[in-house]
Amino acid sequence: MTLMSSSKTPSPPASTLNFSVVLSALVAARVALTLTGLPDVLRDDHQLASPLTSFSQLQEGIYLFNHGVDPYSGGTFRHSPLFLTLFATILPNSPRICSLLWTLCDGLGAWALVQIWRARQNVTSSERDGLIAAVYLFNPYIFLPTLALSTSSLENTLMLILLMFAARGKASPALLGLAFLVHFSLSSIVLLSPILLLLNTDQFSHLASPRPLATSIRKVVPLLGEFVVYFCLLALSSTLVSGGFAWIPQTWGATLMLPDLTPNPGLWWYFFTEIFDHFRPFFLMVFTVHLLIYIVPVCIKFQHDALYATFILLGIVGAFKAYPTLSDPGLFLSMISLFPEIYPYLRHPIVTSLLHLHAFLLLPLFHHLWLNQGTGNANFFYASTLVFACANGAAIIDCLWAGLRIAIGKPVEGYSIVQE
Amino acid sequence: MLLLSFFHLFLYLSSWTWRTSATSPDQEQIVRDFFGKDGSTSTSGHTNNWAVLVCASRYWFNYRHMANALGMYRTVKRLGIPDSNIILMLADDASCNLRNKFPGSVYANPGRDLDLYGDNIEVDYRGYEVTVENFIRVLTGRMEPSVPRSKRLLTDERSNVFVYMTGHGGNEFLKFQDNEEISAHDIADAFEQMYQKKRYNEIFFMIDTCQANSMYSKFYSPNILATGSSLVGENSYSHKNDNDIGVAVIDAFTHYVLEFMEGINKTSTKTMQDLFDSYDVSKIGSHPGVRSDLFNRPLDRARITDFFGNVAHVEVTPSIEAETPAFVPPTTPGQKSERAIPSQSALPSLTTSQPLMDMRWLNNWRVARAWTSVALLGALIGWVGLQK
Repeated sequence: MTLMSSSKTPSPPASTLNFSVVLSALVAARVALTLTGLPDVLRDDHQLASPLTSFSQLQEGIYLFNHGVDPYSGGTFRHSPLFLTLFATILPNSPRICSLLWTLCDGLGAWALVQIWRARQNVTSSERDGLIAAVYLFNPYIFLPTLALSTSSLENTLMLILLMFAARGKASPALLGLAFLVHFSLSSIVLLSPILLLLNTDQFSHLASPRPLATSIRKVVPLLGEFVVYFCLLALSSTLVSGGFAWIPQTWGATLMLPDLTPNPGLWWYFFTEIFDHFRPFFLMVFTVHLLIYIVPVCIKFQHDALYATFILLGIVGAFKAYPTLSDPGLFLSMISLFPEIYPYLRHPIVTSLLHLHAFLLLPLFHHLWLNQGTGNANFFYASTLVFACANGAAIIDCLWAGLRIAIGKPVEGYSIVQE
Repeated sequence: MLLLSFFHLFLYLSSWTWRTSATSPDQEQIVRDFFGKDGSTSTSGHTNNWAVLVCASRYWFNYRHMANALGMYRTVKRLGIPDSNIILMLADDASCNLRNKFPGSVYANPGRDLDLYGDNIEVDYRGYEVTVENFIRVLTGRMEPSVPRSKRLLTDERSNVFVYMTGHGGNEFLKFQDNEEISAHDIADAFEQMYQKKRYNEIFFMIDTCQANSMYSKFYSPNILATGSSLVGENSYSHKNDNDIGVAVIDAFTHYVLEFMEGINKTSTKTMQDLFDSYDVSKIGSHPGVRSDLFNRPLDRARITDFFGNVAHVEVTPSIEAETPAFVPPTTPGQKSERAIPSQSALPSLTTSQPLMDMRWLNNWRVARAWTSVALLGALIGWVGLQK
């Protein structure tokens, strides 16, 4: 009896310990990695840093700013003036210290992801915390841009923090975070709608039991107003630091007008190298509208589970934004860990993961073949970005399907599901 | 009535002639002063340099002619003329010739120290494209519209052109490709066309063939300086053989000119007179000649780099804050001086403190802006954070 009772003694709460251990171990490993020569090699890699997020451009803009030249007068500096403010005053500028800062931001992002999970599950700690932190920190799409000091990692962290606040129901911090995020990357405006929805509903999982939206839309208006106020205050701050309005066409204008056709893992650059100038405004409009058309359908379809709607729209932004890096789809992939309820209903997870593996191996290979070795051409790299887009698309479609399929229930013998 | 109109016509004509005759030398003087500023010794009025280097003979045993042209090409590039300003015409490909024991390379000395071919040369006219017609078209600029820019001599009124020709020649002719020849009259007429079309400021013509001096005897356009390797009735000799390549690798005249050039770099102040004084008849084996009667400047004031290099003169102006809106030209190219000379602008020298104070104020304003912005952000974050 005593033997049995001793075996039944509950083990000490290993989950929290597990999470902290995992978090600190991975952050320490990341710091160790930054001390090697790897970050210098990755600094200007096209997959990890776009013209809007590259650390070299940030340094150049700060140098110009400190020497009295308007960094927005040329076409090289496309970061938001808020970055200029922060890095010209309180944050350091050297790559070594910034590596530390970026790694800490990643750790913060992992912590925020775990908080979102805990909020969704309504627990203070769970046994999956360590796993979720590991999924975020081990994801190569996340840690490689961090090593390369791309500011898209900071955007990811900000995204996770504001989602954490939104999942906890704290409207003001979430909206302020979103205002910051839209200032950093204009494509994130797509997420305004699901986050407003999230603030009005709750963060728990309702995928299995969809209901129409219980609250009225009118309650969103004060939140929207608050967001606009924060946005304008940040715009004021940006105008103050840059001494004019030249930053608007250089930063947001870059997302809309695509002036810089540097190769990146996205779909826009190649297309806009080959179209005629005559059609450029039309196709810029098409590509921008393409990002916006997903907002309303996804929010309507997932009105019962706004966090899932946010998740899907994050995936869409990551796949179709103007200047993506690997960290944008990486966030989407890491966030799949928040929704284990859909795993049984994913139809082709292996295909998706193999497509991602395929793309992850081909992107740097073809990039090297085209730009370093010279034996390939741009079509090689473009093909690998198409595979990457296929992989992202497959992931989004699968998650969409599973999120809706879960509402129908487990498969029953003798019955099949058809669409009316 | 008629008398009055005649009087008006006379008045008009006289005022017109007086105006043009009065102002044009004045303007010329201004231009000369511009180029002769800050006491530089060179008096050339050119702003850019071009080179036309022609090897007119083919076949393996004329390896030395190709080496001549490539040696000149290397020198001219080393002294700063870019590929876009060089027209290199090689009638045959010595480097990839099947008989070349060192494929991909062309050497100009028996020890094979320096590969003139390498992997960074740009041959504009190669093989059978090197014809008399193409050479004259290059000089005169009369080409089909489809000819690409790299094959055109895009010179203007302020270009100094260095024309170098080598091959087999005779009394007033040069053999192209073993089946045609260009005569001294043809080249003289081409240069005259260039003069009429204002396609050069000055031409330096160098030719290394047998009886070379006859080739420049027929020039009649101004501002041409010419030199050749041998007198009429005299042969020009090759310099040395290389035993492994098996043929002569360089001609004597070109070899000694290139040897002189090795002592020249972009800052060199050696003059054309120094080059011509360096001719040693006993070493070269023939009597090189110089024709300078058409050349308007004294030879000891004409620098080597006026023709062989592309040397820009740099003038350092005071910093931007101290400048008045008056126009101060930042560079006067065409002069050769590596010294950074502050430009003689008409600024008062006592107000150096004022621009510095402006700088400091601008600096402070910028730092204030940045910190205000950070404070605004911090206040926003703090306010939102402290809310419930």
